[in-house]
Amino acid sequence: MKLEKSRSWRWGVNRWIILVLVILGVFAARAYPPILPHVQLPAEAITGRLFTLPVIGDFYLSNTLLATLIGDVLLLVLALVIRRAIRSGELVLRGVAGAVEALMEALYSMAESTAGKWAATIFPWMAAIVMLVLISNWLELIPGTDSIGLIHHAEGTAQGYPVQEIARVGGLPVVTIVKPEGEAAGEGEGYILAPFVRVASTDLNFTISLAVISVVMSQIVGIRALGLSYFTKFLNFKTFFSRPLFGVIDFGVGLLELISETSKILSFGFRLFGNIFAGSVLLFVIGSLIPVFAQSAVLLFEFFIGLIQALIFGMLTLVFMSQATAGHAHEEATH
Amino acid sequence: MVGDIVVAATILGKLIGAGLAMVGVIGGGIGIGVVSGGAVQAMGRNPDAAGTIQTNMILGIAFAEATAIYALVVALLILFVF
Repeated sequence: MKLEKSRSWRWGVNRWIILVLVILGVFAARAYPPILPHVQLPAEAITGRLFTLPVIGDFYLSNTLLATLIGDVLLLVLALVIRRAIRSGELVLRGVAGAVEALMEALYSMAESTAGKWAATIFPWMAAIVMLVLISNWLELIPGTDSIGLIHHAEGTAQGYPVQEIARVGGLPVVTIVKPEGEAAGEGEGYILAPFVRVASTDLNFTISLAVISVVMSQIVGIRALGLSYFTKFLNFKTFFSRPLFGVIDFGVGLLELISETSKILSFGFRLFGNIFAGSVLLFVIGSLIPVFAQSAVLLFEFFIGLIQALIFGMLTLVFMSQATAGHAHEEATH
Repeated sequence: MVGDIVVAATILGKLIGAGLAMVGVIGGGIGIGVVSGGAVQAMGRNPDAAGTIQTNMILGIAFAEATAIYALVVALLILFVF
């Protein structure tokens, strides 16, 4: 007997909406041909100077910081939605809460199989990093990110483009960048766009600070697990006097361990930054070459990359933290 | 005249340098190929362990890819910063 009824085939509405959007996209690309935007590595400031600190310098609200704040707000909203879903007393969570529950379950089983009894300590760090990085990466998929912002004069070697007014909201002109006829505008002429929201992971400040949090916390978890003997991993005097020759080698290995700990920060930071920044540059280039269909395929690819990179960041945090709790005990047993 | 030549040489150096930096991606490509080849063989021999193997494979791919990403970052820095 068939318990579940298969859904009958019906002509849904969504596919027609998508078809209409594709056709509109063709016309829009004819009316305003896309251009290759100015690619800039440091985040653009979207406000004037907020305040100045003596040594560090001026502080601005940058567009990647705004994206980080949006990601934080989304995370808080998600947490409240899930809290309400759990309080409602339903045994099976539905919708977004159910999806997040499935993700958390998968992550926790991974944490348990890697970290053992330290899973409960390590899991919050890993899950928070995964969720924050995931939401930050997926902001790239929302239309308007990287494309709506303030227009300003191109400076230095930036390639500017002419603008055209399309509407006027309360006295402020709304303009779009248009493709110049014939000869392109030269360097330092025309206008470029500083978007309001740029994906947080395309800013090294975001990725490096997450990496610093991850590495520093893995030291703290290690100290909690092993006490002061955790530091013998780095300054290894255990065999220094009993077996002088091997003792010196062990001491050198410990120093190398110290270097590898710092290089983890760079590796963490540049991996995430490189993947997502290269992805957004790819989106710009593909969008300017083939305006209509191709970007959808690249967006699907970016969806996948964003998920994978978030999982990788969390998984490596988990692995490094559980390595820090393990200490040298089992390593010596295998010698 | 001399200024034009200097500008042209700067752009030429940038583009050639970025292209040379991307040579490093070869290593990442070989690494990812070796990792996933080994993982597929292991899954073929022991299909029950596919889940664990896949997790480890993705971790290994991420490590192999990291070096390629460093090359990419260097190329992007050359193109867009200097």
